[in-house]
Amino acid sequence: MHRRGNFLFSVFLILVAGYAALSASQWSFKAGFFPLVTSIPLLILVMLNLVLEFVGGTEKASGPAVEAEFTNDVPADVARRRVIETFSWIAGFIALVFLVGFPAAVPLFLFSYLAIQSRVGWLLSVSLTATTWGFFYFLFQRLLNLQFEAGVIPTWMGW
Amino acid sequence: MEAFTDGLFLVLQWKAFSLMILGMGLGFCVGLLPGIGGAATLALMIPFVFKMSPVEAFAFLLGMHSVAATTGDITSILFGVPGEGLSAATVVDGYPMAKRGEAGRALGAALMSSLVGALIGALTLAVAIPIVRPLVLTFGSPELFMLSVIGIACITSLSGLSLRAQLRGFAMGLFGLLLSTIGQERQSGSLRFDMGLMYLWEGLDLVPVLVGIFAIPELVDLAVRGTSIAGDKPAGNLSSGVMEGIKDTFRHFWLVFRCSAVGVFVGIMPGAGGGVAQWMAYAHAVQSAKDAKEREGFGKGDVRGVLGPGAANNSKEGGDLIPTIAFGVPGSGAMAILLGAFMIMGLVPGPDMLTKHLTVTYSMVWTLVIANIITVLLSLMVLNHLAKLTYIRGGFIIPFVLLLVFVGSYTANNQILDLIVTFCFGLLGYIMVRLGWPRPPLVLGFVLGKLVETYLFISVARYGFSWLSQPLVLLLIALMVVVIVYPFVREKPAWAGGGD
Repeated sequence: MHRRGNFLFSVFLILVAGYAALSASQWSFKAGFFPLVTSIPLLILVMLNLVLEFVGGTEKASGPAVEAEFTNDVPADVARRRVIETFSWIAGFIALVFLVGFPAAVPLFLFSYLAIQSRVGWLLSVSLTATTWGFFYFLFQRLLNLQFEAGVIPTWMGW
Repeated sequence: MEAFTDGLFLVLQWKAFSLMILGMGLGFCVGLLPGIGGAATLALMIPFVFKMSPVEAFAFLLGMHSVAATTGDITSILFGVPGEGLSAATVVDGYPMAKRGEAGRALGAALMSSLVGALIGALTLAVAIPIVRPLVLTFGSPELFMLSVIGIACITSLSGLSLRAQLRGFAMGLFGLLLSTIGQERQSGSLRFDMGLMYLWEGLDLVPVLVGIFAIPELVDLAVRGTSIAGDKPAGNLSSGVMEGIKDTFRHFWLVFRCSAVGVFVGIMPGAGGGVAQWMAYAHAVQSAKDAKEREGFGKGDVRGVLGPGAANNSKEGGDLIPTIAFGVPGSGAMAILLGAFMIMGLVPGPDMLTKHLTVTYSMVWTLVIANIITVLLSLMVLNHLAKLTYIRGGFIIPFVLLLVFVGSYTANNQILDLIVTFCFGLLGYIMVRLGWPRPPLVLGFVLGKLVETYLFISVARYGFSWLSQPLVLLLIALMVVVIVYPFVREKPAWAGGGD
């Protein structure tokens, strides 16, 4: 699984670097120089890594690497389901922002997540949502005066 | 000496002091919000300084800016969400400490090392202005290019000690540099990799990339675990945890001092980019470990990984101010905005700031000192309550932090594409951690990409390739080689027998 994932990720990087090198080679020196200087070594390094992945056997003694470690305590199928669920919630929030605009998406998302995903009681969900929305409104809309795009539905309805 | 004490009294006048406190309050809130960094808030607040005296204006602006740098570490540690771009290195060890139930200790260490760093930065600012002029003038584009590359090499060298781990680290650094080329090229105005989207003409914004790649994977992992951030780890005594963090600062004082020096040095170099200071300090902290056993805690919650970046983050502010005040050359985006405040006040950075307006210059030094001391003291009073957040069930925390992440990202361009970029980089970050590809080199490559390209282009345009043989460049190349090779040489017995 890990090996297949690494293979796919390496292929992704090779495609990106290849596309970048090909595009940059057609640009002027000023525009293309730096992308070429970065994409060609990237291509070589990833291909080398890919070769080592297949002919080098299992990686040993990699030493301490400075990177986060995610949990491995949860059964794989449960973990996979939760990862998909969380990314789906995030995608859903972005879709909500697109449809109804940021200010309306905030309470809708918060309430749904708390009530459905976190199984928090209705009363607590409503009060947390109302408090957060109040904070959001006063800080970002009134005090900092951030401009939020209107969603497609309010625009379509002419609100 | 008289100007030095006069500067203190000016800051302590009730109006200047009140404005500094007001600025600090704003800076504290801003530092906690991802995306709305200190530089953006400085820009928002510039219109309010028109009617202030120079001392009042700088007390207000610098008080706000220095506090934002400190409090950015708080969200980095508690939720794995960088408060602003510069706090990203604190996430690497600070968040794992919170997951281990040591949020109080991590916060105490971050705040105290920030204070020590700020004091060292301010002290350097006070004494160094006349001395650093030759140093700054020695560094041209080739040297600044090499300095940026060393920054990337430093963090890449921490990707692991096998050949494959190093390959992946360097590949990610290059990938970060490549990502930074998206958008309009500065010299010719050509559009690169814009995919027909006007959104990409300005390139990818740092905030959506940064919070996406660091915060979202951590939130997904929290959802997978289905517990609180600290999980079932015992809460222990949070007060003693904070005290332990403070003691850690003094236990590793020499490291904190060295990392502060790294921050000051990077801050002094105009255009070196503040982002590199924290990462270089982090790399230095890791490489200072004597052996593999001492190093193995880094990335998994070693307090030294919090102390180094914390100290550099704030010492950099003093360093940043040196070229801004002495030569009118801003060391970072925030300093460029502060330069605007100089103009509004009718002050011209340069020799006048060291003679005619020396009192104002010293008032800035005192503002840095006082603002940081007050922030740390006030923060220490609320740290216990903040640390308790890591014991709240993940299901409660996730939607609120997600909102914080997306509001922060949205402020980059106020477009829905900011959110999509955040999502994409969140997915990329998650895949990278799962597959063992390091994120820090990618982030640093991306942060420094535009600077690296500019310096490389100027160097090649001006000197051809002969710049590669300049003595200082050769020295920096040698330093880079040492940075890359040193971990291998030191750990030889560990990897020689079982590497690739």
